[in-house]
Amino acid sequence: MSKHEQFSEKLGKSLIFIFASISLLILLSIVFFIFRDGFLAFKENGFFHFIFGHDWNVQDNTFSVLPLIVGSLVVTIGALLFSVPIGFSCAVFLAEIAPEKVRNIVKPAIDILVGIPSVVFGLLGMILLVPYIRDHYGGPGLSILAAIIVLILMILPTIIAQAEDSIRSVPSSFKNASLAMGATHLQTIWNVILPCAKSGLVSSVMLASGRAIGEAMAIYMVIGNTFTFPKSLIDPSRTLTSNIVGQIEEAAVGGTHLHALFGCGLILLFIVFILNSYSFFIKRRGCRSC
Amino acid sequence: MKKNENCDHIKLSVHHLDFFYGKKQVLRKISMDIHKHSITALMGPSGCGKSTFLRVMNRMNDLIPEARAIGTVLLDNEDIYGNNTDVVKLRQRVGMVFQQPNPLPKSIFDNMAYGLRIKGIKDKQKIAELIEKSLKKTSLWGEVKDELHKSALSLSGGQQQRLCIARAIVMEPEMILMDEPCSALDPISTTKIEELMKELVDDYTIVIVTHNMQQAQRVSDWTGFFYMGDLLEFDKTKEIFHHPKEKKTQEYIEGRWG
Amino acid sequence: MFKRNKILSVIVGIVAILGIASFMVPSNALTATAKTTIELWLNKPQAKVNGETRWIDDTNHSVTPISKWGRTLLPVRFISENFGLVTLWDAKESKVTVMQGGELAGTISEAGSTSVLPLAEKFALAFMKKHPKVRISYTGGGTGAGIKQSAGGTVDIGAASRDLKISEPDLMVHAIARDGVAIIVNKGIGITGLTIDQLGKIYAGQVTDWKDVGGKSGKINVYTREEGSGTRDTFQSMVLDPAGLKMSPACLAKKSNGEIQMSVQSDPNGIGYVSFGYTEGVKGLLLNGKEPTIENVKNGSYPISRRLYFLTKHNDNLLVQAFIAFCRSDEGQKIVSQEGYIQLAD
Repeated sequence: MSKHEQFSEKLGKSLIFIFASISLLILLSIVFFIFRDGFLAFKENGFFHFIFGHDWNVQDNTFSVLPLIVGSLVVTIGALLFSVPIGFSCAVFLAEIAPEKVRNIVKPAIDILVGIPSVVFGLLGMILLVPYIRDHYGGPGLSILAAIIVLILMILPTIIAQAEDSIRSVPSSFKNASLAMGATHLQTIWNVILPCAKSGLVSSVMLASGRAIGEAMAIYMVIGNTFTFPKSLIDPSRTLTSNIVGQIEEAAVGGTHLHALFGCGLILLFIVFILNSYSFFIKRRGCRSC
Repeated sequence: MKKNENCDHIKLSVHHLDFFYGKKQVLRKISMDIHKHSITALMGPSGCGKSTFLRVMNRMNDLIPEARAIGTVLLDNEDIYGNNTDVVKLRQRVGMVFQQPNPLPKSIFDNMAYGLRIKGIKDKQKIAELIEKSLKKTSLWGEVKDELHKSALSLSGGQQQRLCIARAIVMEPEMILMDEPCSALDPISTTKIEELMKELVDDYTIVIVTHNMQQAQRVSDWTGFFYMGDLLEFDKTKEIFHHPKEKKTQEYIEGRWG
Repeated sequence: MFKRNKILSVIVGIVAILGIASFMVPSNALTATAKTTIELWLNKPQAKVNGETRWIDDTNHSVTPISKWGRTLLPVRFISENFGLVTLWDAKESKVTVMQGGELAGTISEAGSTSVLPLAEKFALAFMKKHPKVRISYTGGGTGAGIKQSAGGTVDIGAASRDLKISEPDLMVHAIARDGVAIIVNKGIGITGLTIDQLGKIYAGQVTDWKDVGGKSGKINVYTREEGSGTRDTFQSMVLDPAGLKMSPACLAKKSNGEIQMSVQSDPNGIGYVSFGYTEGVKGLLLNGKEPTIENVKNGSYPISRRLYFLTKHNDNLLVQAFIAFCRSDEGQKIVSQEGYIQLAD
């Protein structure tokens, strides 16, 4: 290695190190600030009251978030309940069954759908979905049903695109082994291909649930933002994210209101952390058997 | 359904087979009889069509879009490319072992049980018995009997390939197709597999694709030599190696090319 | 609480420079040719500008001309701004600067109350037309955002549709207009008015069906603004607080006047409250029998109104001060009434 090469090697390495440190530092400071202000919310309102209470009132200076947690979970789980089976079926169809020509058209289209900003879905939901629900099912139209449908539309392409990739990356030797033993195509898909693609499928679901639980604006536009527990699908509610997006601009600096909003952020961070650890765990297990 | 009368000793009979991938013809007018309880070796340089021909016999080529076979292939006098053929049944009758050992990412036991369950056998006792029998036949039993629930991928390459053979014979097929089964293995494993083939031929009809001329000579009864999509020569192995009729065959055997 | 500096000037010299004030020589000949005439009286908080009565400081009625050391001291900002001059107050150095002429150039960014938004846009257009080298931008976000961003320095001017609270940052507060809050319902709803009492009960969740307030049967969909909105604070303090009511958590929250207007327009059972500027396409209800009109706010019979403010830091620049002076000038106040708001002087 010449002196010049040695120098550029060193320079490259230290540049990479610097950039890595900067991004790590930024990440850490974000976490730090969320924790700092978020913890204040727990302190000011009391841990149990903040999580399990259901009043949110700036005038009375009391904040608690149970309806928000319930809203976030109901909407996210509701969306996953529909989009996972539909998404996986689409992915299997595209990867295994559809003729190449169909795939060549549909796959790029789905990749484009993945990139559509969520606000667009929110807008469509507000203009088309909300009046439809109001006219046909009652209630104000702004509802968790609308939020769930918007989320399904939003995360379905993510699930399909990711799941399709992971199904296609299953080595064909596994497929051949199964078929050569006299398994039908469907048996092969069910018994071999899907289990082998498990880790990819799990991460597609985790990515989708991350998008779903983190989505703020689109949900804000269609969920109605009442501070209540939903009792049916056509009831409005509020999620942790839509609460933040709705009030952060109005909250006074350094006040308990702002801390409470950071508290919502902290809870979100915690939920996402659990989701990620779970998917990490499943992936590790998936690797051992694969 | 065509009948072939005077050939009780023929397991599989191929007549005038043309094979295409799209517009490209990869096999031309192949005719060959595979004898019962024999080992037939298919040889030839890369791309000569021998693997494609092997896959004709259990219709694995069906998976490739635009692949198309014209001609007759009779298994026990029944045309496997006929309209009434159940491909799934066919593949249960004609097992296959691939070049790369390809156990499924499951336990050894589940690999073995997979085909049986698909066949519809639910009796756990029977499944366990069949598995033990097949593993014993492939002399794997002694090596793995205590770790049947370990991942099949933790086995060595040679063990994996023998597992794949055991997995094929647990289905009680009539024929076993082997696509260069030893090319990814070390010499000791290769010897084991070759010995295994010689034992299995008492119960099964075996067709093997190989690059290895010594292997063909060692194990096979019949040898077919493919070149550029044609079957140049097909005869008893001894004849092919000692008195080849075609110049190309001789040159190939002598290692002048290929 | 109002941090706006009353420059009750102790700098006599400046008054001398500005010695054009007509009150000194109230002769008929002079007033006939003068462009601007300002009349002030000792110890009176109101003055006359071209014959119209004005508060000297509309946010603090104790500001009057006073007599000291045998001199008459006048509030210099009132005088100079009405003469079209720009007055700067530097709190650090306790210095007053009065400027005339020169070409204004630069950019001003504004953010905050959506109640102020339509007015601020018109102010900006008029000011930019007058001073082509000035660029002014406005984003919404609500009063809270206006306060936060102007205090944080992300924008030059914050807009608020309510009074600042003690806990909030120390900012200069410039009143720019008054505004009524209209109660709006979908055009299909068969009622024309509510009492304040009924309105409070609807928002507290005690009345949930239109038939209970004289309409057709149907569940009321109540739209409100998010916590922290100036309009919400006004509504809260003028409708709910006097009756000891709390806003129901089941109200559907929106982030801006425009969103409330849109929702009520499309929801056949919707009710909401908005700034007067957002009543197109919806029905404004009579409140206690009074129509939501500027006249009724002026004469005090319409019950919900508030002031709209621009907020700045104490050391704001010449351009920003010139813009605010413009908004508060006769010219600016004309825009206020054109846009359906109420002039400060009224």
